Amino acid sequence: MSPNKIRQLPTFARMVSAIWYRHYRVYQNNFWTNSFPTVLEPLIFILAVGWGLASAVGTMDGMDYLTFIAPAQAMMAAVYTSAFEESYGTYFRMMVDHNYDAMISTPVGVNEVFWGELLYTGTKGWFFSLVVIVVLSFFGVIHSAWAVLVPFVGFFTAVAFGSLGLFAARLVKNINQFNFFITGVISPLILFSGTLFPVDKLPPVVSIVAKMLPLYYFIDVSRMLTTGRFTSDLYIAVPYLLVVPFILGAFAVNSMNKKLIQ
Amino acid sequence: MPTDSLIEARQLVKNYDDFRAVDGVDFHVRPGECFGFLGPNGAGKSTLMKMIYCFSPRGGGELSIFGLDPDKKASEIKNRLGVVAQTDNLDEDITVTQNLQIYSGYFGFSRKQIQPKIDELLAFMSLESKAHAGIRQLSGGMKRRLVIARALLNDPDLLILDEPTTGLDPQVRHLIWAKLRELKTQGVTILLTTHYMEEAQELCDRLLVLDKGKVLSLGRPEELVKNNLHPYVLELPVAKKSEIQIPPSIQLETHGDKLFLFSDTPSELEKIALPFQGQFRIRTTGLEDLFLKLTGRDLHESE
Repeated sequence: MSPNKIRQLPTFARMVSAIWYRHYRVYQNNFWTNSFPTVLEPLIFILAVGWGLASAVGTMDGMDYLTFIAPAQAMMAAVYTSAFEESYGTYFRMMVDHNYDAMISTPVGVNEVFWGELLYTGTKGWFFSLVVIVVLSFFGVIHSAWAVLVPFVGFFTAVAFGSLGLFAARLVKNINQFNFFITGVISPLILFSGTLFPVDKLPPVVSIVAKMLPLYYFIDVSRMLTTGRFTSDLYIAVPYLLVVPFILGAFAVNSMNKKLIQ
Repeated sequence: MPTDSLIEARQLVKNYDDFRAVDGVDFHVRPGECFGFLGPNGAGKSTLMKMIYCFSPRGGGELSIFGLDPDKKASEIKNRLGVVAQTDNLDEDITVTQNLQIYSGYFGFSRKQIQPKIDELLAFMSLESKAHAGIRQLSGGMKRRLVIARALLNDPDLLILDEPTTGLDPQVRHLIWAKLRELKTQGVTILLTTHYMEEAQELCDRLLVLDKGKVLSLGRPEELVKNNLHPYVLELPVAKKSEIQIPPSIQLETHGDKLFLFSDTPSELEKIALPFQGQFRIRTTGLEDLFLKLTGRDLHESE
């Protein structure tokens, strides 16, 4: 091995995509085990809650109940895959397998590692909300061709919730503390963001708070896309979903920088 | 910092809260040499390593690697390093070849471009038959060899190994030493930490002996021993201390349950040892003795 000429540094985009590819490759090897619950969960939900409750509830917000909860199922798939991947998954990669140490002993830095990871989790959000929409379309609950855009909302949802997962991974002292994150953060965010009932049904103060929760607008937009019923909310929701995930992402990546480089 | 050294450290300091892990360390690493950090657990070896491979910003002093400042040029520095960390941080769910492909991607190599290099390194580390095996099918020694192969993908100007053979059996250890010596003859500069004397003796051209974050001694292994110790030592059980007469030319030290008597001539020691048939050992002094003398405690004792 002769003294080699100095190779050029890979670009930011090249490094981020190398990280993305790593996760893709690793996930791919366990694809069926990993994706089975994510696909099955909304299916069970729509069968049990949908069929069981739908007849009792009748219509919700001017549409039949299954139509109302269908877009929320797609977002929940994105939320679950990203929140788990970036909390438990990140914790294991950091504390048990030491994968990040391997990554950042190359030209890759902490920023590239976690932007690559958030983009990957976004891709998973895209994929699983796509699967859910395809599955649900057989139940006759997708009423508009705009629904093809739902997976893209799923992408942004997953980036946002992946970022929350990273905060959790940064903060927990041991693996059991993730219970606080899942039960204390993710579950209420899902229940109070217009998944099962419109937030307007909540007491006024609670409803205002609910609309400020990260998931609300993602579900709102998805529902517009699957029903084709667009409201003026769209003007807030679109900029919101394009910007907020990346603000959360920037804070999360910065916080991982503090955790890993000491 | 104009220099022909690959690493240049002056008065290097690292604090964790109120604990000073590295306390005013000076050294430099020259191209082509194998430089070792030797010290007990908690001496500051790994912290020094982390500062060099840009995981840990320095708390004070000066540090330059390839003439670059790790606080400002981390990516540029890491682009030219090969790092073998203490734990085998491989991707367990994918194959040997996939591990190497993905890692080379972090340096910007395409999979096609790097394949000849992967074949070459697997052959060099005698892992060709495992190219498509899963990581969980590999033994501890194979994993270590793979991690070393991975660190060579980018033809590093400096190979850093943090305790490369800790936890491996003697055969594997000798195999890895042979590979590292081969790399050295190819001109690769190596920096390693170890708490094995034998490893330091086998591989290192120069050693930095550390304890509690401070430099105790620096130099070639045989020089360090020669400059600090008499060439022969007699080991006796500590209980025999009252039964012996020690001439002034002999230096005496006690470590654990053993008495160490150092002398310039073996005959002088033989005379003392005579009444204790089967209970003594006379040998030439080595790094282990030096270490005990410098740190005043056993190597594997942690704090």
